[in-house]
Amino acid sequence: MDLLPFFEWAETSMLGGIGKTYGGVYAIGQSLHLLSLALLGGTVLLTDLRLMNLLLRDVPSEVVADNAHKWFKVALTVVICTGIFMAAAVATRMYYNPFYWAKMSALLAGIVFVFAIKRPLLKRPHDSIHPVVLKSMALASIIIWFSVAATGRWIGFS
Amino acid sequence: MLNQLLFDFAQWVDSFELSTRLHESYYMYNWVESTHVLALMVSLGMLFVIDLRMLGWALSGVPASRIAARLNLPMMIGFTIMIVTGLLLFFAVPVRTTQSIWFRIKFLLLIAAAVNAWLFHKRMNESVSSWDREPVAPKRLRLGAGLSLGLWAGIVTTGRLIAYDWYDCYRVHSDLIAWAAGCMVE
Repeated sequence: MDLLPFFEWAETSMLGGIGKTYGGVYAIGQSLHLLSLALLGGTVLLTDLRLMNLLLRDVPSEVVADNAHKWFKVALTVVICTGIFMAAAVATRMYYNPFYWAKMSALLAGIVFVFAIKRPLLKRPHDSIHPVVLKSMALASIIIWFSVAATGRWIGFS
Repeated sequence: MLNQLLFDFAQWVDSFELSTRLHESYYMYNWVESTHVLALMVSLGMLFVIDLRMLGWALSGVPASRIAARLNLPMMIGFTIMIVTGLLLFFAVPVRTTQSIWFRIKFLLLIAAAVNAWLFHKRMNESVSSWDREPVAPKRLRLGAGLSLGLWAGIVTTGRLIAYDWYDCYRVHSDLIAWAAGCMVE
């Protein structure tokens, strides 16, 4: 299925038009994207470093994971909303940008990983999960979310 | 006077061959910039968690001093990487950056954030024993945490705006903006 017509439509949509016309609004969208990415990174690191026993060892990992997940969802929502806004303004260029597709793949992998694997597993008492499983999952999570950020930054360079 | 000094300094930095090489190296420059952003996820991410705890919006059942103490190390590692990569980014493009109004505002906000962080830690250490297990920090500290979030939002925004040329010196501006940006006749 060729998605090019959708990307061309996105660029001519009202959202794309706002981003194209008002540079200041676009820049604020970029800043919000970065700030929410920082919050997302903080919640991911908080949970994963705790699961790896490297941080907050004297706080139950269930408490850390549950608290962090609430803010992770907030951050992810803002990242996606601002990301759509930013991409809409330059949608056709994004379509031909390999780093855009790399980021979308990493983001999709991250979302599936969190909501289909990590959260269902972490809803169980953590001491019933083998430590190797917990630590491997935490490491995979850090790699996935930092790949999302890195590929996102490289969109602007290509 | 100050603008002239800053301009001379920027030109001196610009005279280093390494500065030009870094600027012109596609991979090196972009990796430095990417690392700057990735470090933001570590440093600001940890700072946000600490501030949210002080405001009572996250981990309110965990003693505040414990959160601040444990997250301090990863936060400082992140800030160190951010400072090093930030200096490298300045080193690569010194003249334009020195004459960027956004960079100048960012720098002032960074100083304000540092002072706020110092005051926050001082006040927290003085009083933490009386409220450590409370879900919300006292008003003065909540104010400090809110200010920290606001200042860092400003730092990230102005940092992002450096890339835009709306107020670059080659454009015609009012005398006030030209002075604030440090525009000099070369």
